[in-house]
Amino acid sequence: MSRVAAGPAESIPGSRSRGEALARGVLLAAGVVVGAVGAWKLLQSGLDNILAALRWLVGGLLAHDALLAPVTVVLVVLAARVLPWWMRAPAAAGLVVLGTVTVAAVPVLGRFGALADNPTLLDRNYTAGWLVFAAIVVLAVAVTAWRRRSIGARPDVTAGPDAPAPR
Amino acid sequence: MLLKAPQEQDFTSRLRGPQVTARIGLWLGICFLTAFVTGLISHFAQDTPGWLTFPTRPVSLYRVTQGLHVISGTAAIPLLLVKLWSVFPKLFERLHLRDVRVLALELFERGSIAVLVSAAIFQLATGLANSSQWYPWSFSFRSTHYAVAWVVIGALLVHIAVKLPLIRTALGGPLDEDPDATSASGGLSRRGLLRTTWLATGVAVLGSAGATVPLLRKVSAFGVRSGDGPQGVPINKSAVAAQVIGPATHPSYTLSLINGAKTTQLSRADLEKMPQTTATLPIACVEGWSASGDWTGVRVSDLLDLIGAPADADIEVESLQPSGGYRVSELQSQFARDPLTLLALGLDGETLSIDHGYPCRIIAPDRPGVLQTKWVAKMTVLA
Repeated sequence: MSRVAAGPAESIPGSRSRGEALARGVLLAAGVVVGAVGAWKLLQSGLDNILAALRWLVGGLLAHDALLAPVTVVLVVLAARVLPWWMRAPAAAGLVVLGTVTVAAVPVLGRFGALADNPTLLDRNYTAGWLVFAAIVVLAVAVTAWRRRSIGARPDVTAGPDAPAPR
Repeated sequence: MLLKAPQEQDFTSRLRGPQVTARIGLWLGICFLTAFVTGLISHFAQDTPGWLTFPTRPVSLYRVTQGLHVISGTAAIPLLLVKLWSVFPKLFERLHLRDVRVLALELFERGSIAVLVSAAIFQLATGLANSSQWYPWSFSFRSTHYAVAWVVIGALLVHIAVKLPLIRTALGGPLDEDPDATSASGGLSRRGLLRTTWLATGVAVLGSAGATVPLLRKVSAFGVRSGDGPQGVPINKSAVAAQVIGPATHPSYTLSLINGAKTTQLSRADLEKMPQTTATLPIACVEGWSASGDWTGVRVSDLLDLIGAPADADIEVESLQPSGGYRVSELQSQFARDPLTLLALGLDGETLSIDHGYPCRIIAPDRPGVLQTKWVAKMTVLA
């Protein structure tokens, strides 16, 4: 992959035909207009509302870029060092499924919106549900890993855990 | 030892690249577009502009569009997380400081990406929290989620415009240049990563959609509502929370029908003596949950005829609630005159439970639940 030598040519590639250039121009103009509509609507909501929204807009970005993403990267690097080859793919798949679904389930797992006067809201045992879900994922990872190991079909034994892509 | 900031080439996973990013991005774009369109529908259903006559058929249209809104948002969570992972090294890409023109372009692109990522995370986080009635912020959810939706779509269109040639090349080309080499270290192949992402997306959807799709109730371990509730229908606001138990159960309760200077008072017994109609209509909430019920009551159009309201008049419906954003709703004439629009006195063959709006509530086809006013005190013909 040539990403290492990435210049503006990859970051902002040029159009290859007139039709493509036209489509990009239209998309760009539409995007700027639609985005401006949103900014205008946000600006109309009053200073307090804008500041409160900005805290969440920036906070969400930081929560991902400075916390979730680096933690994931470190976790994957460590896992690649520790895990034998036959466990890597199943473990990675398990992490994607378990991790992303758990993120999506945070509000129900925490029951933050629960109301004492409304038993129809958040009326499941989410912790038990999550434990069953996690157990299924772990089991699926274990079975797949065991099968890979017993088949022993490793394509290339010489490659290290984090062998860089050929450049 | 000094720690240095990572650079783009420090990230070595072969899985990252336009081949994976473009394929996940395509589905992420579809999810965001679906959420935007269904969100606009919901916005117009709640805040109908003068030029629009919101349809009353199909009766479950809003149930479907709002269910789809929350489902597409939920599906976008795994897609967004994997997509952001696939482009994370780009965050550390060096700017081209020598060429001012290139630098300006890059700064514009990076700025639009920052807006896109930030607004996308904002929409999914606030939407997800709202679906479980969790409000850990001080901004107005409805107007802010609506405004930022335009920002996301704008930034997304700019992003597609910038990346279009790259996207077309990636989608037109093979996923794995050499399928065998990619799994040499025993890790996932690109195909494996994509399949895993689709699986995670499917699990996230199936795990929560039971709140609106009855067939999925049993498998939706993370559904905000199981679908149970008084008379088989969940509730959003209880009678206790609305502070209506006193006035709603008072023996002297009467419904006021107001047309100009003339006011007609009807007790619940009076309403029970009028011709009764049963209609199967959904309660479909903006939070994405929905449930169908068999409602019995008086046709609103019969009540309007009783007070001589013009056929094209809009009606204001007022609740016994002392306060709250949805204390008053407006029934546009097409809803007020629809033969299925009822002032419901019963649900599921029983007297309406107080949490469903006893003594009487509005139930109309194809409307957001917040406008199906409960504990109705007054209906006024708008001039």
